Amino acid sequence: MATDDATQAQQLGGRNWMISGSRIWTIARGTLTQLIRMKTFYFLIAIAFLLVIVGNLNLQASAASQLSMIKKVSFGTMDLFAWLFAIVATAVLIPRDIEDRTLYTILSKPVLRIEYLLGKLVGVLLVIAIALIGMFIVFSLIIHARTVAFAGAELEYLKGAGKPAADIQLEVNAITSQGLRPALGIAVLAIFLKSAVVASVTIFLSTFASSSLFSIIIGMILYLVGNAREMAMSFWEYESDGSMAVALISKVFKILIPDYQLFSFAEGIVLGEKILPHLVWSMAGMSIFYAGFFIALALLVFYDKEF
Amino acid sequence: MSVLIALVIFGMIRTPLESTLRTQLVDSHLLSEPPARDTFMKLGQSTLMGTLGGLRPLVAVYLGLKAHNHFSYTEWDELDTTYGLITGLEPREEDHWVHWIWHIGINATANVQTSRNLTPRQRETEFNRYIQRAIQIGDDALKEHPRSADIRLQIAELYREKLKDPCEASRLYGEMIGLPDSLSYVERFHYYFMADCPGREKDAYEGLMRLYKESENNHLPTLIVKIKKLEVLLKIPIHQWIPDQDPDELIRRQRRSGEPLPGGIRLP
Repeated sequence: MATDDATQAQQLGGRNWMISGSRIWTIARGTLTQLIRMKTFYFLIAIAFLLVIVGNLNLQASAASQLSMIKKVSFGTMDLFAWLFAIVATAVLIPRDIEDRTLYTILSKPVLRIEYLLGKLVGVLLVIAIALIGMFIVFSLIIHARTVAFAGAELEYLKGAGKPAADIQLEVNAITSQGLRPALGIAVLAIFLKSAVVASVTIFLSTFASSSLFSIIIGMILYLVGNAREMAMSFWEYESDGSMAVALISKVFKILIPDYQLFSFAEGIVLGEKILPHLVWSMAGMSIFYAGFFIALALLVFYDKEF
Repeated sequence: MSVLIALVIFGMIRTPLESTLRTQLVDSHLLSEPPARDTFMKLGQSTLMGTLGGLRPLVAVYLGLKAHNHFSYTEWDELDTTYGLITGLEPREEDHWVHWIWHIGINATANVQTSRNLTPRQRETEFNRYIQRAIQIGDDALKEHPRSADIRLQIAELYREKLKDPCEASRLYGEMIGLPDSLSYVERFHYYFMADCPGREKDAYEGLMRLYKESENNHLPTLIVKIKKLEVLLKIPIHQWIPDQDPDELIRRQRRSGEPLPGGIRLP
């Protein structure tokens, strides 16, 4: 161990112990290229198809309901993609680097292990960010086109029926309120924050996992349990009639398992609830707190790892 | 071991923070509360997994399509159960409640009333069952959305069209006055139905007269018909009667005399 540290210090020339943003960026760009080569962006075509189909279902429902459905499917798909990709891509990257021996090449250079981990995380998050922006653009085009079509048709009908201007405005507002709004950008940010937390937890898992399959499975189980944690605990505590033992187990469970459901606040934004800026900031802070902790924990494991 | 200790310390720091944030997010409706227990019990395996996996909106959309399918095949009880799940998953989505009341209160009742497979007694029993269910759904919906004009509008339609209860319809239209998103006609409708509610005729007359005097835009045929009816019923002195002609009387007269209506239309 002491020899390792000495070797690393020697490799770093005894002068590069400061974390370098440019080295992190170089690794992040490499990760981005690596993931693009895995054809990860092809799914955008599938998403566009799905949204076009949902946007043209023509159900016997109000225009506002149909727009709401398009929004929910779009953001649900973005959410699903973001966390799934965060788990799978992060779990695959480190084992693949070991397999390809790229890791040895990188670590033999004056690169800190924390820089390597941060570079990988930033690379994955870059792909997620680009994909989310891409999906949001596709969604925006479809929802805008549908809103204009629905509002136009409603306006024409109501004017033809001789309805009062105030009522027409109210009906048109009901449709446009379900259309494209700047607040939906915050919903995309919320999805991104959630995926950043999931990715940092998975990067920690992949530092001690023996295979990427292990990280993916454990990452997914953890995601499901972390999402259901609050619901499951409240039911269990309710059923147990205030038992001390259950309360204690519940506490331990809450301490060990991350609360992923907390990061699902995009749901409320999509449904049209008012955004409170201080809550968005708090959630951003919480995500950074989570990501920072799990990266530090990953470093703790990764630092001692022999390759 | 050090990893476990770090996880425990991190957990102890973040748990109170998470708890505070969760309360704030739930209070601001950005985060949904866990679905009710009976909703969980009724969810199928895949929908349950979807809900647990944080895909609540997608599960709700899937169930919405399933409900639409039940509507297409007039499977009302299945539709009722499915909407129970949808509103359990997304209670804050007002449209789900409105659709639920509409399907059960309007569509299901109309379907059983016209069904050839049912005897007259069965038709009445089924009609009563669905209409009571729709009213009950409406009450639950208003508990969740106490300031909803759309939900009240839908329940008022049940009292108006299905139960022929002008007093309840008037009460609901009255509650809609001043609510956000309520349509401009609700005040008129409040008094229109009050006019047919036994014991409330005087209040209705005063309300309708106020609207009549307020603007000429309110001099609509129904408003005039209702005032004319109340003038007779309440024995209002003739010099206080409104000068407008009763539009229904005009039609009745033309029908009696066989005169054509404007445009040359002859009434049978």
